[in-house]
Amino acid sequence: MSGSTVKPKGPVAAALTVNAFLVYAFFFLPIVILAVFSFSDDRLVGRWGGFTTSWYGEFWNDTELTSSLWVSLRVAAVSTVISVVLGTMAALGLERFRWKSQRFFDSVLYLPIIIPDVTMAVMMLLFFTWGIDLTNEAFGTNFAKGFATITLSHIAFSISFVSVVVRARLAGMSLELEEAARDLYASRWKAFRHVTFPQIVPGIAGGALLALTLSLDDVVITQFVAGPGGTTLPVRVFSLIRKGVTPVINAVSVVMLVASLLLVALSVAVQRLRGGSITG
Amino acid sequence: MTVPEAAVALNGIIKRFGDVTAVDRVDLNIADGEFFALLGPSGCGKTTTLRMIAGLEFPTEGSLRIFGDEVGTLPPDKRPVNTVFQSYALFPHMTVIQNVAFGLRMQKVAKAEANERALEAIRLVKMDGKEARRPHQLSGGQQQRVALARALVNSPKVLLLDEPLGALDLKLRQEMQRELKTLQREVGITFVFVTHDQEEALTMSDRIGVMNDGELLQVGTPEEIYERPANRFVADFIGQTNLLDGTVESDGTVCLRNGARVPVNTQSLAAGTPVAVSLRPERAQLHQPGQQPADLPHVTGRLEQHTYLGNALVLTVALDWMTLDVRVENLSGYSAPALGTEVVVSWDRDAAVVVRA
Repeated sequence: MSGSTVKPKGPVAAALTVNAFLVYAFFFLPIVILAVFSFSDDRLVGRWGGFTTSWYGEFWNDTELTSSLWVSLRVAAVSTVISVVLGTMAALGLERFRWKSQRFFDSVLYLPIIIPDVTMAVMMLLFFTWGIDLTNEAFGTNFAKGFATITLSHIAFSISFVSVVVRARLAGMSLELEEAARDLYASRWKAFRHVTFPQIVPGIAGGALLALTLSLDDVVITQFVAGPGGTTLPVRVFSLIRKGVTPVINAVSVVMLVASLLLVALSVAVQRLRGGSITG
Repeated sequence: MTVPEAAVALNGIIKRFGDVTAVDRVDLNIADGEFFALLGPSGCGKTTTLRMIAGLEFPTEGSLRIFGDEVGTLPPDKRPVNTVFQSYALFPHMTVIQNVAFGLRMQKVAKAEANERALEAIRLVKMDGKEARRPHQLSGGQQQRVALARALVNSPKVLLLDEPLGALDLKLRQEMQRELKTLQREVGITFVFVTHDQEEALTMSDRIGVMNDGELLQVGTPEEIYERPANRFVADFIGQTNLLDGTVESDGTVCLRNGARVPVNTQSLAAGTPVAVSLRPERAQLHQPGQQPADLPHVTGRLEQHTYLGNALVLTVALDWMTLDVRVENLSGYSAPALGTEVVVSWDRDAAVVVRA
């Protein structure tokens, strides 16, 4: 029966249908419930008390929450841009050149993917505490943990993911394309700019999306390296749970969910646009 | 009188990859306007040689000049040569015309002029009407044409082609062979062509360089290469041949393995030199025993096999120490001797070539 598509019959078909429904229900029911109760007019998170949008208003007026949302977005944007640039450069270096002890650097680059988040978090905390103390002592500066330390840690783990994705794309690209560009009077830079880069854009976009999501998502590492100067939205939400949960959390979660969906939709749209209308 | 300057001149070119010597002391002059084929089995160094001319590899030793200018260490974008790659290497994200105009745009030719010249080149390779297509929408033959146009539009001083017809099926390949030849005459550019297909090299080129194991064994016209191979490898690689091993005797004959002495043109090789007598199947004649013309070199054997080719037959004759192929035209009324009968194979004294073993 290899390769042919045979429709299952009888009880098998019924079981498969039920299974499919269960799987999707498992995926999406929590989302639906979350969205529904974010509009519930009751102070208890799981009780329906009529329709209201007041929780969104409360979120919007809560300066602690909005400022941490702002931090989240800035950290995500900055860490994505920097890790995409560095990750792509690492991918190019490892894929297109041969040098001494390359295998070592190759395997070391992927450590952040393997290291547990908690370990990474403690490492970062120690590193920054030690580093900041040292610089403050040596140069009389007044650095503290905060936006910069969060961003740096996010860059540190995102680079690996970006370079994995970009490298996969580079490996699938024929070296002859770059040679052809060089043969046709393109300098190294122009060959990259006009031939290599357009070929690996999907990989770079994928890596960027991954970096963005990882940054917006991260709780563990951020919690350790955040300072008094403010923290990201997920960490703030996490700390709210301890104070006692209000449906504001539901509203915040829905906003984050919609934002990520918009992001994915946007990147798909950009891909389509690029594919359809290259001229000149 | 001055000797016309060579389009490409290689002097003592050596290319090593680590411990492996890919190209070993190659000296070669390719004349302006020539259609030159580098021929050899895969891994013989022909593609490496081509890539060194293109600037995609740099020679380890030796001098490489293009129209007199030393280019040995110049990067590919600084050389007046263009390449048609084996896989065509068309840019997948660009249309046909963007591909063809690429080289001109990189040389800072204005866009309008670049497009105009690209269109001209596209017409030259008969791809007009398909300017807006993407490479993946083209057949292999069409991609090949675009790759040609993309190289030729830059008016290179030398066009390099790396097995450009290898991926095409037989019919298309023969068609492209003819077209390439015509095209080369039209544009008058020096073509350097890499192939492992000896038939392709013979039919297309003005001259051929035969390579093996990194060495350039012989350079000559197709006729010279076929009729007067420099050594055993060339004789064997170009066309079909029978190689009868032996040694040169002091009386100018060659003593074969079975002790028979055959009178051949030993080309003043010293007595005792191990050689092979190269006898092309179409130059040998088959006779009933005793009916061979007197005083022609000959060997005796037993007919072992018929191979029917339609317009000809190849008869395989078993000697004591080897087999010989004899090609007989399938003229009307011809009937081959029965298998197993004793036959004599003879040849004209000048039909066989003595090559160094």
